[in-house]
Amino acid sequence: MDFDFLPEEQKFADEVEAWLVDNHDDEVMDHHRENFSQLSDTPERCAFMKKLAAKGWLGMSWPKEFGGQEIEGVYEYILNEALSKHAAPQIGKGVGIIGKTLIRHGNDFQKNKFLPMVLNADVEFAVGYSEPEAGSDAANMQLKAEKVEGGWMLNGQKMWTTSAHFADWYWVGARTDPDKKKHDGLSLFLVNMDNPGLEVVSLPTIGKDTTNQVFFDDVFVPDDYLVGERGRGFHMISEALDLERFTMFTLSPIAHRSDVLVDWVKEATRDDEPLKDDPNVRQKIAQIVTDTAVAKALSTRFVCAAKSGGKPPTIESSQYKLFTTSLSQRVCKDALDIQGHEGAIMEGQDDAPLRGRFEGAYRATVNETVGGGSSEIQKNIIARRHLGLPKNF
Amino acid sequence: MDLDFTEEQQMVIDMTRTMLEEHCDTQVVRDAEDDPKGYPDALWKQMSELGLNGLLIPESYGGGEQTILEGAFVYEELGRAMAPTPHFVSCVVSAKLLLSGGNDAQKNAWLEKIANGDSILTPAWLEPQRGFSAKGIAVKAESDGEGFKITGRKRSVAYASSADQLIVLARTDAGVDLFLVDPNASGITMKQLLSQGREAQYQIDFDGVSVSADDRIGAAGSGWETWTAVMQESVILLAASAIGGADRCLTETVEYANSRIQFDKPLGAFQSLSHYMADASTSIDGGRVLVHEAAWNAAQGRSVARLGPMAKLFCCETYRETTRVCAQIWGGVAFTIEYDQQIFFRRAKALQLTWWDTPYLEELIAKDVLD
Repeated sequence: MDFDFLPEEQKFADEVEAWLVDNHDDEVMDHHRENFSQLSDTPERCAFMKKLAAKGWLGMSWPKEFGGQEIEGVYEYILNEALSKHAAPQIGKGVGIIGKTLIRHGNDFQKNKFLPMVLNADVEFAVGYSEPEAGSDAANMQLKAEKVEGGWMLNGQKMWTTSAHFADWYWVGARTDPDKKKHDGLSLFLVNMDNPGLEVVSLPTIGKDTTNQVFFDDVFVPDDYLVGERGRGFHMISEALDLERFTMFTLSPIAHRSDVLVDWVKEATRDDEPLKDDPNVRQKIAQIVTDTAVAKALSTRFVCAAKSGGKPPTIESSQYKLFTTSLSQRVCKDALDIQGHEGAIMEGQDDAPLRGRFEGAYRATVNETVGGGSSEIQKNIIARRHLGLPKNF
Repeated sequence: MDLDFTEEQQMVIDMTRTMLEEHCDTQVVRDAEDDPKGYPDALWKQMSELGLNGLLIPESYGGGEQTILEGAFVYEELGRAMAPTPHFVSCVVSAKLLLSGGNDAQKNAWLEKIANGDSILTPAWLEPQRGFSAKGIAVKAESDGEGFKITGRKRSVAYASSADQLIVLARTDAGVDLFLVDPNASGITMKQLLSQGREAQYQIDFDGVSVSADDRIGAAGSGWETWTAVMQESVILLAASAIGGADRCLTETVEYANSRIQFDKPLGAFQSLSHYMADASTSIDGGRVLVHEAAWNAAQGRSVARLGPMAKLFCCETYRETTRVCAQIWGGVAFTIEYDQQIFFRRAKALQLTWWDTPYLEELIAKDVLD
């Protein structure tokens, strides 16, 4: 048993940390963007990702024949934790689920075209699984893909696509075989976001993210852009979640919020008395830092299971996501309760405590227990796969 | 980072669990409840023979010289079995108080006997209408030139009827000090107080009980510091024990939820119930890693002033909450004496209320974080 990184892992963590301090840029790194900060949605942030690429930090865990270094996935975990601690863009879908699925199932054309783009930070992807009728019931996608001469014709609608308003390519699940069982009738496609049949309609939210509806009106996709085998789409989507073990959700933003709150409480006063002497505040802080330590423990558990190389850490990942996203919301709620009436002053104004960090974070974290598999879906997974309880829906 | 057990650690876990399955089923637990002695000799003898009583004591005193991490593994099993033994008060807290504050004569007199189970020591700490902090110590040890005279009332002294020595926390001119006291000394009266956990515990009155200056553990006024440092580590083991109890409570409840049929399907097929269990398992699995992290840090010689209290706080609440939702799943039988669920339910809360309760732990953590 060992709760420290190995010396070489620690060396890498220190190197990344020092590099991030040296390369700090307010245009790129902004804690007020909360979880949205992980996206490379501006020229400055894309340029930052190019610098990461130049360091050789993209695709570290990929096989050497595809330009990777074949080092352990834990380095990508270390990198993403450091990036998210600084509210910098993270390595994400390209290196993770999309890159790894292409390496495993993509054709030579796709590998030659997309993998170098990912390694050089020349591409941003959007992922389109969710639809109006396919939320938690992800396999219920209805976007239609009909076989036509030389390719496929896509018609229908996607929902909740993060990044669609700036991405270059769209990683999309569509129904190619409506007569087959719902899990066996889906296929994966790569669609150029410039396709004239695509219409992106942004949906503003109360959080920091703009999410999008995407409408498909006779979107033609050439045969070369069907990923893997026809009808294997849902299986590849599930497998990707298992292949991509290390870069799913980072703990650092939550730990960072706890730290920010603690530092603020230490200095704040109310009615001329130090706020930290208020027993109610002390109790809340004790609970927050304890739960944050538990979230870290669950993260350690998840990373160790992922490192083992054995079966995919599905349970560990579900437990971590379930606990941590709920904690994330609790921290913001408690922070506002501690700040009292001033907590409600809207973010971005200098007169707000911490410039309204927690007023904004309270709004921004509401999606965490919904997106990426809701808390209820995580509990279903834990109940069935971990505890061996029967199917409950 | 690596959460695996070594082969030796796995052996300790397996050995402890096998022994407890054989010598500590719930009938043994039930028989010990409210019993004036409170633990079975057969179990105590087994623990001694397997080296568990000396687990944390140095080899030079006949112990196994293992770290608190191995202790945590053993305590998860003791908690799973709800084993009624004076191990915590004697082989952990008293042994550690002697090791960190005692002189050679005191260590030579007691540590080997604690390690082989021949002697039982127990701290006399809490008092009526008083709390867990140093302010809670009002029992006086007044200097009479030669030694001290101890006067006052102690509560919740575990296994005092079997104790060969008490370690009494008492107020002196120098502050709080620890004294080794013979429980048969004149001026001591004991009365068993039944408790929610139904473990043997006593109220003890001290009426001018004489102790010699040689019976003080450590330098004058050093007692509270010694006590706090020992407690910071020791509560990690109680957290481990809470995880063991919660884990077994949940495991038995999952089995029940798979077999009990209502509305033509097993209880576990009802989402509201399965989600209770999923939440409980998440807290248990997270709490266990927190316990291991705290114990591992203590074993590395790092401070556990924050991690120790965090582990006790979170794991005792996890145990309590697990027994609450499990009672909901068992339904009416959960609170009948016949079923074992009621034992978990009572003990989880009792464990949370003592050896530092929730508000005290929160304050320890807040102090470490904020002050």
